[in-house]
This record gives sequence, C-alpha cells and structure tokens, in this order.
Amino acid sequence: MRSAKPRKPISYHLRKSLPFWLILPTLIVIIIVQVYPALYTIWLSMQARHATGWEYVGTQNFERLFGTGLFPESVGHTVIFLTGYALVTLTLGFVIAILLKQKVPFTGVYITLLFIPWIIADIIAGLIFRLMVTPDYGLFSGILQNPALFPPNGLSILTAARPAPWFGSFPFPPSPAMIYLILAASWRALPFITLLILAALQTVSHEVMESARIDGANLVQLTRYITIPLILPTMVVALFNLMLGGINGVGMVFSLTGGGPGTTTYVISYLLYVIGWGQLRFGRAAALALLIAAVNWLLILSVLRITRINDRVR
Amino acid sequence: MTKNFYLNRRIWKRRLVGLALLVITVISIFPIATTILVSFKQQADITRKPPVIFPCDTPEQKFDIKACRWSVEGYQRVFAPKPDEGSLFGFKFTGNLLRIYIPNTLMYAFSTAFFVTLLASFSGFAFSRYHFRGHNALMAAIYAVTGVPLLTNILALYQMSITLRKNVGFFDDRMFLVFVYLGFFLPISVWIAKGFFDTIPRELEESALLAGCSTLGALFRITMPLALPGLISVFLLTFVNVWNEFIVAYLLVTKNEYKPAMFGLYDFLSQNIINLQVLAAACIIIAAPIVILFLFARKIFFKAMVEGAVKG
Repeated sequence: MRSAKPRKPISYHLRKSLPFWLILPTLIVIIIVQVYPALYTIWLSMQARHATGWEYVGTQNFERLFGTGLFPESVGHTVIFLTGYALVTLTLGFVIAILLKQKVPFTGVYITLLFIPWIIADIIAGLIFRLMVTPDYGLFSGILQNPALFPPNGLSILTAARPAPWFGSFPFPPSPAMIYLILAASWRALPFITLLILAALQTVSHEVMESARIDGANLVQLTRYITIPLILPTMVVALFNLMLGGINGVGMVFSLTGGGPGTTTYVISYLLYVIGWGQLRFGRAAALALLIAAVNWLLILSVLRITRINDRVR
Repeated sequence: MTKNFYLNRRIWKRRLVGLALLVITVISIFPIATTILVSFKQQADITRKPPVIFPCDTPEQKFDIKACRWSVEGYQRVFAPKPDEGSLFGFKFTGNLLRIYIPNTLMYAFSTAFFVTLLASFSGFAFSRYHFRGHNALMAAIYAVTGVPLLTNILALYQMSITLRKNVGFFDDRMFLVFVYLGFFLPISVWIAKGFFDTIPRELEESALLAGCSTLGALFRITMPLALPGLISVFLLTFVNVWNEFIVAYLLVTKNEYKPAMFGLYDFLSQNIINLQVLAAACIIIAAPIVILFLFARKIFFKAMVEGAVKG
C-alpha cells in the first residue's frame, strides 16, 4: 500500500539531518573524553580500593580528605596564591594596557615582545625562574644568599623555611617560595590579561573622554569615573579567567618548587596529584577533584551571568 | 608661548610613556635573557663558589669582555652529536630530546590541531547556520564542559588507560593521548569556530545553493575558504596548547619512546639538578620554535585569544 504523501527524495533527509552529522563526531569525542570521565570521577569519589577491587564507602573519602591537615593548608595556599596572582596581574595589566593605549612609537614592537612570556609553556616558565634562584648555583643565588644583603642568613628562596603563621593555622605570611611562585605565574599570565584590558580600553569612546576632559576632569577622575566603570566587566572576566587558570594550573608548581620546601607551595591542584599519584589514593583524590570541579563551575556560572548582563546592557 | 609649553608637555608625556614601556618590556624579557646567558656558560663557571653572573672575570680584573668563557657545552650535552658516516654532515644527534621527544611533540601537536580544526569547523558551521531543536542547549552544554577541570578528568582517564592497556590489543599510548587532547581542546574551539562562521554572510552560501551547489559543496567551496583565517588561528592555538601541555602526557604516557618534549624536559630537571646550562639549553631549544612561530603569526594568535577569552 502506498502512503498518501509522496515520498521525499533522500537528499532532503540528508540535508535536514546534516547539522546532526556534522556535530556528531564532536559530541562523541566530548562524551568519551569529558562527560564519561566526569561521571566516573563522581563514582570513584565514593569508592575505596581493596585487595580485590573497589568497594563502596559512601562519604568516607570526603571525611578523610577534610580530616587531613594538608587539605586546609593547601586551601590556604591556594587562597593566598590566587589573591596575589590576581592582584599583581590585574594591577600591572591595567597599567601596561593604559600605557600601550597611548600609541607611542614602537607600540607594536612592545606588544610583541611583551607577549613572549604568554607563549612559553608553564613548565618552561617555572624552570626559567628556577634557574635564577637554584640554591647555591642559580644566577642570582649569590646575591640573594649574601648575609650582608639579606640578614641574618641570606635568602635561599627555594629552601627557606616557612615563616611562623600569624592567624592560627592559616599559612600567612606566605613562604618566600610561594611569593616567588606568584611572581612567576603572574609573569606568564600578564600578557593575556593586558591584551584583554587593552581590547576593552579600545572600546572606550574617544568622544566621551574628550567631553569629560573639556568639562575639566583630570586624569585621575577620567580613570576613576569613565575608564574603570566602562572596562569593569572585562576586568571581571579577566579575574575569573585568572582564577580558573590559577586553580587548575599545576605545571609551574611541578617545575618551579615541586610543592616544596616542605609543603609550603602545595596548592590544591598539586595536592590532587600528590594524593592520587603519590599516595595512590584515587578515591580520595576523586573527592578532591569533585570539589575543584565545583569551584570551577561556580566561577564559570558567574562569568556567564556577568557577560549576559553585559550583553543585555548593550 | 603657552601653546609651545603645552606642546612640550605633550611630547614629554609621550617620551615618558615610551620610556616606561621600554623598561617594562626589558623587565618582562629579563628572565628569558638570563636563561640564554646561563645556557652559554660552562660547567666550571656554574658550580663555582662564590657564583658569578657573567663568566668574564680574570684573576686580575672583575670584568673583562675579552676573557669571557662562553661555551656551547649545554647544547652539546642536549644534542649529544656522535660521528656517523652515513649522515649528511658526518655526525648525527643522539640526544633523546631531538631524537624522540621533539618529533613526538610535533606529531601530537599536528594531529591534535588537525582533528580539532576539522571537527570544530564542522560543528561550528552547523551551530552557526542551522537552528535545530536543542541548538542553544547543546551550545551551552559544550560550554559547560569547558568548566570540567582537566585534573578531574585525568583521574578517570588514567584508570581508563590502565584498563584499556590491559584488555585491548591495539591500544597505543600515542593514539589515546591525541584523543584525550582532542577532547580537551575541542569544546572551546567549537565556540571560537562558531564565532568566525557567524561573521561570514549567509547570502554567499545561499546564492551558491541557488546556483546548484550541494550543501556540503557550499560548505567546502564557499564557507570554508572564507573561514580559513579563523580556522588557521584555531589550528595554531591548539598546536601551541598541545606543545606546551605537560600534566596530561606526564600521567598518561608510560614509555620513554612516546614522551613529548615537556615530559622530557621534566626528566632533564631530575637528572640535571645542578647542570643548569643543560637545563637552560633544553628550555631554549623547546621554547624557540613556538616563540618564532608566534613572532611570525602574532595577529592570528591575538584574534583567536580574544575570541576565546570573551566567549569563555
């Protein structure tokens, strides 16, 4: 029996389903490499390894994780790292972007050269900074370890002991190695942030600035009341980008300090590596991974909210 | 007179800005310059006490430009050239870095970048041109996936690689690694590619379709060539990201023959704790290709960077 409708040619179906076929490979890859592992991590966070295999232990992994002293310490280190990292990078990025916007001669050359640190891998960047202060043999170890310049015993950044904490167990003030890590990480992230802010500065209209200037606003007022409010959304996006990179980036800790001296540069992502591959406690590491993922998601959701608000305003 | 004064002030302001930028640039390049300096020192000058910054001192003088002891010992130890009759220049490089690690990295970076660009252009095109059911939800889902941190997934992927290595005969570390990279760099590339396709006017394709071109034909003959600059930037960005990637390879690759350059460099670190000139030379050798690539194609990089950053 024939259907009442005439059959559509096959090319029509193909054309209608074309977007599906175009997207399918991407979806398969993403499901295998991203979605399935994420679900597996959730499962893993409730398991513990036994001689025969995995066993369900409920929330025990989380409890044990919170119970160790390393976890709160690493969270403290991460907070300090992120604060320093964001402060240094955003401030310097803003200043450099303002300078670059003046369009003095050779600005193009400066931009290109300033960007080289961004293109260098985090593991190489860490190594470069390590080479400068390697105990005894580093290029500047001679100066830093000189007791006359840095009393009482000279300063060996990568082996200096942790200073006594001021507020209970919160690791503040940070160790010299942590400060150096912040410096190195900021060095690498600065170009990217500068470019973001510079791109936002270019959108600040010249007319607005000019009319404010004619009305008698000075440079500080111009910056405070026109430039900063207009580029604030970009600054927030930059801040979240930095936080995401700072929480997840681990390569520099590997090559610069290796978590040391002691545990003074254990950031949370390095702790994950240590628990998982150092202690081979994958269940507990999965619990930690879920916490990191939750923080990531919170950050990304906030970025989405802020950029969407920004779009609506426009 | 007054006019002259303001003009002068303006010129001085510009000069000050230029000077400030020059200083900032020098400071930011400084760590790299020190690495180059260290890479040309010799072992005796590196392990000396007290340490010196320039290897240029003589017993009589603190600094004598003629007495500088520069050497390529670090590079020599990285390359490890050995005489060989059959080779082009009479010797061949036997160092692991040049023989194994860098070719591996090139292979990983090229294949990942190629597949990422291909798949991202397909789905970017589909997302840009078609509005099917679940379009926005799928886009948002792909965006949300970028929020799953790499380290979270590595745990599971590591377990997966162990299971597969045991049970699947044709399992290959290299294939798995490229596949994992593909999954990591694809989501953001889809967004970037969609952004580039959005800027190409639809009318061009429509007129091609009217003229009798097939949909796929229109994609490959009209849209792809126009989107090419954007796709090249996706390619380059992925290439650099894979080249610079460390932790995934470190945890997933088991055999020395499959290690990429960053993993090899990390091995160098543990083997050459005090041979700083070797470490510095290895850093320079691995970073140089990427820096040179960047210097030649910086506009392309900036484009993809801003596109990717604003979106995510």
